[in-house]
Amino acid sequence: MTIDEHKEFAVQSSSLKEIRSFAREVLTKDPVFQNSMDDVVLALAEAAQNIVKHAYSGQPTGDTMKVDIKFNGKQLIIELFDKGSPAIPQNIKPRKLDDIKAGGLGTFFIGQIMDEVIFKTAATDWVNHLILKKNY
Amino acid sequence: MSYKITEEGNVATVHLDGEIDMDVTEKAKEVIMPLIESGKEVHLNLKEVQYMDSSGISVLIESHQKAAELGTKVILKEISKSVLKVIMMAKLEQILIIE
Repeated sequence: MTIDEHKEFAVQSSSLKEIRSFAREVLTKDPVFQNSMDDVVLALAEAAQNIVKHAYSGQPTGDTMKVDIKFNGKQLIIELFDKGSPAIPQNIKPRKLDDIKAGGLGTFFIGQIMDEVIFKTAATDWVNHLILKKNY
Repeated sequence: MSYKITEEGNVATVHLDGEIDMDVTEKAKEVIMPLIESGKEVHLNLKEVQYMDSSGISVLIESHQKAAELGTKVILKEISKSVLKVIMMAKLEQILIIE
C-alpha cells in the first residue's frame, strides 16, 4: 500500500494533539504500522513540538507548519516544514542520557525511533525542512 | 488532561488522566509542585495517562528533583504501558521512583 498525505497545522502547542490524531488516522490505513504506530506518532509529535518550542521560541504566531506522511511499501517518510527561525543542524543534538535534567529528550526520542533524520534549510516556500525516515 | 487529588496523612496522590504533552505541562506542574513544596510525599498515579511525550517526562524529572531537594519524594504508581515505554526509552526507570 502507498500513502501520500499532508496537512497544515497552526504553530501552537494545542496543535500537537491534532497532529497526533492526523498521524494515527494515516498510519491506521496500513497494518504494517500496527506495532510501531505509537513510537512513530511520538517521533512526529516531538519534531512538531520542536518547531513550536525552538523555531518559534514558543511565541504566538499566525504561521502554519506542514506535515507530509508518505509510504511506498518499504519506507515511511515524514516531512515537516515550517517558517520559523532557521535551524542550525549542528546545534541540534540529543542530550546525554546520564545528564538527568528536564528537556532535551525529544531529539533523543526521534533518533531512537526513526532510522534517518535529515535537516534541510531553505526548502521552497518554507524555512526549515525536517525529514524523518523509517524502514519497514 | 484532567486530574484528581486525594490526601491521606502526609501523602498526596494525584490521579492524572489523558494525554500529557507540551500543551498541558504547565497545568501539570501547577498541580504537582505545590504539593511537593508543602513537604508531602506525592504519588502520581499514571494508570489513565494514554500518552506522554518528552515534555511530560520533563515534569516527572523536575518533580523528582524538587522532591529530593526538599527531602521528600515523588513515587510513580500504576504506570500505563505506553508511559512506561517512554520512561524506559529515556532510561529513567532507575532514576525515578516507580512502584
